[in-house]
Amino acid sequence: MNRNYLTLTVGILLVLIFGALLFTFQVRHTEVALVTTFGKPARDYNTDPDKPEPGLYFKWPWPIQKVQKFDKRIQNFEDKFSETQTSDGKNVLMTVYVGWTISDPKLFRERASGSIPRAEVFLEGSINNSKNAVIGQHPFSHFISTNPQELKFEQIEAEILAGVKETAQTQYGIKINFLGIKKLGLPESITQKVFDRMKEERGRFVSGIKAQGEAEASIIMTAADSQRAKILAEADALAREIRGKADAESAKAYEVFEKNPDLAILLLKNEALEQSLRDRTTLILDQRTAPFGLLDEQAKPASKK
Amino acid sequence: MSEPHDHHDHAGHEHKSATPPIPAVDDAGSQALSEALRSSFVVVRWIMFGLVIVFLGSGIFTVPPNERAVILRFGKPQSGTGDQLIGPGLHWSWPPPIDEVVKIPISEIQNVTSTAGWYAMNPDGTESYVTPSLNPAVDGYAMTGDGNIIHARVSLDYRITDPINYVLNFVNAKEIVTNALDNALLDASAQFTVDNAVRLERGAFKEKVVQLFNRTAQQQQLGIVVESSRLDSKPPRQVNDAFNAVIAADQERSTTNSAALSAAATMLSVASSESNSIVSTAITDSSKLLSRIAADSTNFLGRLPAYERNPQLFRDILLTETWSRVLANVEVKWIMPDTSGGKQRELRIQLNNAPESDEEKERREKQKAEQTLFQPTK
Repeated sequence: MNRNYLTLTVGILLVLIFGALLFTFQVRHTEVALVTTFGKPARDYNTDPDKPEPGLYFKWPWPIQKVQKFDKRIQNFEDKFSETQTSDGKNVLMTVYVGWTISDPKLFRERASGSIPRAEVFLEGSINNSKNAVIGQHPFSHFISTNPQELKFEQIEAEILAGVKETAQTQYGIKINFLGIKKLGLPESITQKVFDRMKEERGRFVSGIKAQGEAEASIIMTAADSQRAKILAEADALAREIRGKADAESAKAYEVFEKNPDLAILLLKNEALEQSLRDRTTLILDQRTAPFGLLDEQAKPASKK
Repeated sequence: MSEPHDHHDHAGHEHKSATPPIPAVDDAGSQALSEALRSSFVVVRWIMFGLVIVFLGSGIFTVPPNERAVILRFGKPQSGTGDQLIGPGLHWSWPPPIDEVVKIPISEIQNVTSTAGWYAMNPDGTESYVTPSLNPAVDGYAMTGDGNIIHARVSLDYRITDPINYVLNFVNAKEIVTNALDNALLDASAQFTVDNAVRLERGAFKEKVVQLFNRTAQQQQLGIVVESSRLDSKPPRQVNDAFNAVIAADQERSTTNSAALSAAATMLSVASSESNSIVSTAITDSSKLLSRIAADSTNFLGRLPAYERNPQLFRDILLTETWSRVLANVEVKWIMPDTSGGKQRELRIQLNNAPESDEEKERREKQKAEQTLFQPTK
């Protein structure tokens, strides 16, 4: 009895395990699954990115139904460099990267045989077409510009994405989640010309800086010169004012001399005489000049007038 | 009739009575068999028990300190959000195929470096030979807003904030992060001039890259946050000398500038001391003038009474006194005697005094200035 119970349990367990293997399948969080009935797609699982539905599902056993699983995660794809002309005739090289996912396993299985490399071949071509078309519509200044109004970097990315998104979805069951420019460059021969232009521009900068430096120095010196002139002029004005005040005061003092102008003049003349005949003077006089007049009077007392 | 019956009965009895030895034989065999079966059942039971233990035991796993783990039960993440991750330590889950353990490097800071903007280096990391042009297939570079070429490289440290998303939703999340960084670098560079990008506004340039990267990361739902960033940007090696010349010129300009500033400062300080001296000279002169006038007026008032008593006498005395002082000082004196009868006479003088010293000249000029009012008598 005990033995039978154990055997039964084991048997039931084995049947359950086998049944589970035959009748159920798992869809992982990172996968989308497609169930086919006699090779015909019947239902897909876990395709909605906003409402993930991983888990355990029921199916009829092989050969009635078959499960095919695909990677649901975001794939990264970078296309090759391609040279394209902008609308103003400049050649640019561009690489873009895209993040894409398998959104419709039915379509993906049908068109790309469920193969990621095949899907990438399609993406390469599709991106290239879209890229060429979009670049041809924009002037070079939309790719690089210091003017934010002119720069259309992100708009260009959005336009390329828009050109690919629709066909990828409807034809291959691929959802393109995002697209961005990975590399942006110029043809190799052009880079050398850019270098020449950069060197020439630097040369202009050097002479510009030198001229500017000299101009700045001369502005500084001119300003200092005028400042100096101003300081000295102010000092002169102040000195003149001081002297003027002194002169005015001295004019008041001269009023004293009005008491007897004759004496005043006599004193001043006398002083002037003394001052003017200080030393190192050669004086030539005739003998009638006082005090030598005394000599003359003695010599010719009669001739005195 | 009864015989067979009896026989039958007997036989039945016989059989019955004879059976014990046969079952005894059977018993020994089946007993051995059942014994064997029982013992093998025991072994099987132990093996099964062991297998169950092994099966369940295989669900034990450890999470290292710098990692977290998430369990997928039938493919479904058991913890929906990031904070329900399984921390470091020893854990148990149902073994496959029921549960699957996915480990996530989370506390570890991830690092990514842009690949788009730098020239090709030698495999050993040393500087490669400088070619006259850049080959877009191997040499990375970025274009600036003013149409120039620069090399730029950004290195980011980032932390994963939504690890389930980071690990489960991308085939190669790091590659996508790198692409987003390259994209941000090119986009930022397209908005800056070459001088700002490599020299003047490198900080702003870096901020722009990080800002654009953050936006892209958010749009693409990478579930990461930037911890720190470093930017390396420089002009292409092909034009490096030309760029250095600009820097040298800039330095020269600042040297010239500071020389001019110091010359100007010297000039102004000289001017200010000159102005002080002008003013103080004026002050000295005025006070001298005033004191002289004061002295003159005192002298005048003192002599006035004597003069008023006898002007002629006063004049003669004064003159004579003066003459005596003057004549004592005069170096050479000639007294010409009168000629009689108005006869013409000629006098030739060759003056050969020692040249005047500067001091004397100054004094003389000063005196001259003071005496402009008066003309000496003759």
